[in-house]
Amino acid sequence: MRHLKTLTFCIVLCSSFVAYSHTQDELVILEIEQGELIFQDEQMAAEYQAALKRQRMRHLAAMPWLEKFLLFVQAGIAHIIPKGLDHILFVLGLFFSSLILGSLLWQVSAFTLAHTITLALAAQGVVQIPGDIVEPLIALSIVWVAVENCMFEQTNKWRPFIVFGFGLLHGLGFASVLSDYGLPEGNFVALLLAFNIGVEVGQLLVLIAAAVLVWFIRHKSWYRQRIQIPASLIIALVGIFWFIERTF
Amino acid sequence: MKKLLFAIVIALFSACQTSSDQTTLNASENPFEQEWNTPFEVPPFNKIKDAHYMPAFKKGMEENLAEIDAIVNNPEAPSFANTLEELERSGKLLTKVQRVFFNLASSNTNPKIQELQRELSPLISAHYDKISLNEGLFKRVETIWQARESLDLSNEQRKLLADTRKSFVRAGALLNEEQKAQITEINSKISELTTAFGQNLLAETNGFELILDKDDLDGLSEDIIAAASETAAQKMEKAETDKEKAKYKDKYVFTPHRSSMYPFLTQSNRRDLREQLFTSYIQRGDNDNETDNKEIAAKLAKLRAERAQLMGYETHAHFVLEERMLKTPAEVYDLLMQLWKPALERAKVEVADMQAVVDKEGHNFKIAAWDWWQYSEKVRKAKYDLDEAALKPYLSLDNVLKGVFETTNKLWGITFTELFNINVYHPDARVWEVKDKDGSHLGIFIGDYFTRSNKRGGAWMSSFKGQSNLDGKERPVVVNVCNFPAPVGDAPSLLSFENVITLFHEFGHAMHGTLTNVTYGSMAGTSGPRDFTEFPAQILEHWASEPEILKSFATHYQTGEVIPDNLIAKLLKASKFNQGFANTEYLAASLLDMDWHTIKAEDALKDTDAFEKASLTKIGLIDEIAPRYRSTYFAHIFAGGYSAGYYSYVHSAVLDSDGFAAFKEAGNVFDSELAAKLRKHVYEKGATEEAMQLYEQFRGRQPKIDALLKVRGLDGSTD
Repeated sequence: MRHLKTLTFCIVLCSSFVAYSHTQDELVILEIEQGELIFQDEQMAAEYQAALKRQRMRHLAAMPWLEKFLLFVQAGIAHIIPKGLDHILFVLGLFFSSLILGSLLWQVSAFTLAHTITLALAAQGVVQIPGDIVEPLIALSIVWVAVENCMFEQTNKWRPFIVFGFGLLHGLGFASVLSDYGLPEGNFVALLLAFNIGVEVGQLLVLIAAAVLVWFIRHKSWYRQRIQIPASLIIALVGIFWFIERTF
Repeated sequence: MKKLLFAIVIALFSACQTSSDQTTLNASENPFEQEWNTPFEVPPFNKIKDAHYMPAFKKGMEENLAEIDAIVNNPEAPSFANTLEELERSGKLLTKVQRVFFNLASSNTNPKIQELQRELSPLISAHYDKISLNEGLFKRVETIWQARESLDLSNEQRKLLADTRKSFVRAGALLNEEQKAQITEINSKISELTTAFGQNLLAETNGFELILDKDDLDGLSEDIIAAASETAAQKMEKAETDKEKAKYKDKYVFTPHRSSMYPFLTQSNRRDLREQLFTSYIQRGDNDNETDNKEIAAKLAKLRAERAQLMGYETHAHFVLEERMLKTPAEVYDLLMQLWKPALERAKVEVADMQAVVDKEGHNFKIAAWDWWQYSEKVRKAKYDLDEAALKPYLSLDNVLKGVFETTNKLWGITFTELFNINVYHPDARVWEVKDKDGSHLGIFIGDYFTRSNKRGGAWMSSFKGQSNLDGKERPVVVNVCNFPAPVGDAPSLLSFENVITLFHEFGHAMHGTLTNVTYGSMAGTSGPRDFTEFPAQILEHWASEPEILKSFATHYQTGEVIPDNLIAKLLKASKFNQGFANTEYLAASLLDMDWHTIKAEDALKDTDAFEKASLTKIGLIDEIAPRYRSTYFAHIFAGGYSAGYYSYVHSAVLDSDGFAAFKEAGNVFDSELAAKLRKHVYEKGATEEAMQLYEQFRGRQPKIDALLKVRGLDGSTD
């Protein structure tokens, strides 16, 4: 934090250039003599973010419907790739659990359904859980799925339910980004849907990319030892790191 | 010749030079030296970095001086085209960088910009001195001026010629060397005394403190007590010795700063303490100590008179007023004295109202100056109470903007379209394109309304680009900067009615800068005399208080309900509260200002107290009211640029009330014929004609004070 004494002449200078500065006449002179402009970096950054959001909201309000919808789809994608690294890791955690399409589909669907529910509830303001509780838990959820991948070769039947529970958490995470981003009141449902579609598209892109990478080696005997377990371990380590970082 | 005026102001403050780290940048990358291929030539804010300013300023000054040299050394005989028009064309780069820099220095500043400001002010001032004191240039202008009758000049050209010549003459071009040396000496003395006056005043204001115990706080509200306790804590922290610290421990401190004093005078039930604090306020600079301002004030007045005489003027006021709408001291005195009597009459009624409250309370004293705030507040509560909080939900910023856009649309058919594809300097600064009735482009309006920590306090209008028709049509980019509270969370920003008036006011300036349509940019928009430029701003305020218009935009932000009639009625009634006092204290100070600046060079140095007393006795000021400023703390006139100019606030008010009355008389606040006249003769004309002529063309006659008296409740109609 820096305090900067503003010198009298600066202000008289500007008020003479900016010719018509007044309202209360004594402000022009008395305040100038005693004026001190304080720069607080943190406060300025917060003001700037709030202003950016207001600007976005004004722009949205003036946009045609379709453009707005596409913009929210885009925002949804962007909140997975590249901004949602923890969600990417979680989805990869699911990917490395099983190569059976059916099992993977069940898990992803459970995840999607769950985060849609909490995203909608939180965006409506029905549920409000502070970020410093949700964020470390999201990190833990990544650790959980990754560790489970290492322990069991195939997923157990409870896995979709656990993933559903984690999905609820991730939905709260999306909600907090969405509320920073701003959701115009008028088209609440449609835009929420658009954002969600974007999130799904982002998830699918991650899954497809991962599938393409392992497509030709998925049946190798060493797939589990050299790919599935090491990848899951790395994911778990990153998750642990985030958990520590977000808790302390 | 705004540039020259600008230079003089800077010259007064050319101190404090600090060096800075120079980042050298490739000139081809400096956006100021490139074409701005932006929509409507709005500055490319995202490309402008702090390091671009200094090189652009230096290059701009160099170019400007080279252009002036080319004009002066032109072998052809001086002509309007090769001298005045070329002068108009000169300094493009400098103007470009100057507008951006000084705008952002107020509205979006940072430590680097502040440092640059200190570094630049002496450079810029020296630069414009070189031009305004250029003898070769003056000779060419003078040659053309002498031949003006034989030239075929348009009215606008004639005005530009006369104004340009006058600015050279006022800078001393017609004086001989000895006189010039005398002026320089006087100026430097004035500059020293002005600085000393300001410093003394600051010391005097900070020098007094009313230190109170817990049991001295009778009547004060909790927030005021908390603030006073905070002041004491701060003083304690700053104190160096333990003894000093003990003085403030668990105490409450009030000071003669208006922000501390007014709440105390309003709320404290301790009459003795009110008297102490008020007396400390009005005695500032008059305590016969080392920070006394009496002699400084008298010397300043005398030096100004001497300078005026050297320049060939009767008094300093004559010198100042030559460039104003009211041309002579006699006209100013006439205006002030016409208002004086009704204001004083009303003030006497207000005293009687307050005395009645005192008597009713069973006290046995006569109202004194330090009782005014407390008892006027009691009268206000009984007669005029308006709940600001109940009003605010109807006045969201978006609604008020809608109101001001609709008002100007109904007056002139102009429209506003918000643009989102233009990059401005801060996300809270909004951009609109202003179009004329026929859809043609008029200008760009930037509205930057919320307060933030890197913006200066207050409200103002300025421009990033001017208007000119000299080489093709150049349309302006204007900006309004205000300090309204930023919205909390996702709620809208709710304004007070005072904010609404400020918004309309600044928007009036913005329209003056946008509708302008002149050939020569130096006479465009708001460049007219100071006692006239407020008129286009202030007249627009009247529309904001019209019930019909209020109802069209003031709808509740949650329920959508239109503002109720009884709230409007209260609002309008409240505007007449305490006007006797406000006008009397203001007029007394204005008359004091005029008295000081109509003294003659040969008069002996005045005894400040005696002079002031005589001045106030002459007009019959009552003891219950002190002038708004006494001589020893009248910073506007002795430390600022308002000498022989404090009257201009009320002069503008006369114009706007009288001007708006024309619409009321026509029975329609959107009367199309009047609106068209107002646009054609006022908003479009800039400084291309004498201000009084412009007003008369709009109004059909000279201004009268009656409408103002009615607006302020000084016409005997207020109960």
